[in-house]
Amino acid sequence: MTMHATNMGNSLYKTDPLTKRLNAAEARFRIYGMAAVAFGVLALVGLLTSALGTGVSAFRQTFVEIPVMLDAAVLDKSGNRNPEEMAKITTIGYAKVLETAMVAELTERGLLNDRVSAKDAGGLISKEAPAQLRNMVLANPELLGTTVEFRALANGRVDGFFKGRVTMESAALDSNISPAQLELAQKMRELGLLSVSFNWGFITGPDASELRPEAAGLGVAILGSLYMMIFVLVLALPLGVAASIYLEEFAPQNRFTDLIEVNISNLAAVPSIVFGILGLAVFINFGGLPQSSPLVGGLVLTLMTLPTIIIATRAALKAVPPSIKDAALGIGASKTQTVFHHVLPLAMPGILTGAIIGLAQALGETAPLLLIGMVAFVRDYPAAPPEGFLDPAAALPVQVYNFTQRADPAFIERASGAIIVLLVFLLAMNLLAIILRRRFERRW
Amino acid sequence: MNDMRLTERTVDTTEIKIAARKVQVYYGATHANKDVDVDILDKTVTAFIGPSGCGKSTFLRCLNRMNDTISVCRVEGEILLDSEDIYDKKVDPVQLRAKVGMVFQKPNPFPKSIYDNVAYGPKIHGLTKNKAELDEIVESSLRKAALWNEVKDRLDAPGTGLSGGQQQRLCIARAVATSPEVLLMDEPCSALDPIATAQVEELIDELRENFSVVIVTHSMQQAARVSQRTAFFHLGNLVEFGETGQIFTNPSDPRTESYITGRIG
Repeated sequence: MTMHATNMGNSLYKTDPLTKRLNAAEARFRIYGMAAVAFGVLALVGLLTSALGTGVSAFRQTFVEIPVMLDAAVLDKSGNRNPEEMAKITTIGYAKVLETAMVAELTERGLLNDRVSAKDAGGLISKEAPAQLRNMVLANPELLGTTVEFRALANGRVDGFFKGRVTMESAALDSNISPAQLELAQKMRELGLLSVSFNWGFITGPDASELRPEAAGLGVAILGSLYMMIFVLVLALPLGVAASIYLEEFAPQNRFTDLIEVNISNLAAVPSIVFGILGLAVFINFGGLPQSSPLVGGLVLTLMTLPTIIIATRAALKAVPPSIKDAALGIGASKTQTVFHHVLPLAMPGILTGAIIGLAQALGETAPLLLIGMVAFVRDYPAAPPEGFLDPAAALPVQVYNFTQRADPAFIERASGAIIVLLVFLLAMNLLAIILRRRFERRW
Repeated sequence: MNDMRLTERTVDTTEIKIAARKVQVYYGATHANKDVDVDILDKTVTAFIGPSGCGKSTFLRCLNRMNDTISVCRVEGEILLDSEDIYDKKVDPVQLRAKVGMVFQKPNPFPKSIYDNVAYGPKIHGLTKNKAELDEIVESSLRKAALWNEVKDRLDAPGTGLSGGQQQRLCIARAVATSPEVLLMDEPCSALDPIATAQVEELIDELRENFSVVIVTHSMQQAARVSQRTAFFHLGNLVEFGETGQIFTNPSDPRTESYITGRIG
């Protein structure tokens, strides 16, 4: 006969005090963790809502569409259609042409009344529009004497009215626009003379002055950032990977390499503005390279990105199992063959991820660029590479900074819009990193 | 120990392939091998046995200079392969390792196809002129490693997708493909199950026809099963070296006897 032993007061059914304490600690830790994650998610949601909320409207723009009679007598006084002589007519002349066309169209539609003068009617159109019309005519003098359907940017206040930024009340206090003008704009929209549509000019166009936010675009900044990224990619990736491979696989372990190692880690933590001062001193003041150029920007960002890439690459190289190296060495592969045939391919996903993260970091960097003159107001597109590397250009994050510095409230929308463009680029780069990692990833 | 087929053992040759004299190995301040003298015969399986940390793997890795990859490791003494000192300044370890192949404790196929795993050695050593010759080497190596029939239909499959025993035989095929003269095996069966172990052991016996094999093992049974000559290491010293049958049945050193009977280890 067998008997079941009875437990002496310490039943498994009863949780003892120690276990209770452990469980409570675990539950507490879970709550802390969840709170931390929730905080992060909330912050992200807040950031995105704020950027998207104010910035999306930058991608839509109000345009005035009216027939414009290009009077040859006004725009080409000599009458020989020579663009050089026609260039003597400044934008003021074209502004008058636009105003005349506006008044003519509004009179025909019976929209003009004693509360709106001819000047007020012309004021609905952006100050940038005459320049656009002038460029159009100078590029194609044959248009003179004809009537063209011209799509002019509307004034920033009018644009703001349709985006809800400007109201009748604020217009009453505003010397730049009157409620009567807004009423007129409203009627024009009902008649189809004024429309709101996608704003390609914001993405492709150059920056514009303080007084014409409706014309400000990111074209030069995007191009400048692109040029700098080309530089960073071409310089930082090969340099960084070569340095990492040497340090990780070939360099002897001694005080000197230890010193280099410590310095690389420290450089990764150096505030980016320090690299800007370095760039200013070395590349511009000493090297004599042009200010505001993507070349100098690219060099500075390369210096800044190198430590990030080296650290990521070395971590990726270290993560390759030593057994693979042994295997290659064991069948008589040389060290170089071992590294390039086996270690590097296995480390590739990590290297690419590191490089793209470094690149994304460089793309979003503002501080060092301020010091090398990329904060300048640049309206001319840089030329095609390689000459374009020396032309002045802006950069996306610096453009955001510039927009936020301006007084006109319309620039708030532009700044957020530029942030959205920057975020889209960063997102695309991170996506690329993930795709490359998936593609190169091999299991062992 | 019924599986010790001591009587079947014949040593066909007495030609010395590797001769080690007064070999000292230091890992930093640690003296890992002391005065090791070993003669490894051609076309023979030589087993190194001994308790953990006795220096048998360290000594094995001296034979193809794999210890060179460890910066704190220092080797003194003389190791002659076909009467040439492999630690001579003129010797390039890369060239040496093509002659002295190695199979590691854990199967370590490259994360490539089965074909590429075997073809890698011949490729980097320029042993073949064309694809047909390479195909031939791959097939014969896989046959020598008793793996051909299992993988011939899926040579493009990743080597890492094979079972542990198959992976180890793939590593043997890879080592054999460069036509080495000596094959070093560092506990090749310790990560394998008994069936895979039996297959690899059988293979080792077949490899003896073409190569001189040196195997480090923790298992005395394994040493007894596959080797013709056995060396017993203890605390960095080579305690006893001789015919496997003699070592296991009539050891001359009391330490060897204690280890074999399970008193030390």
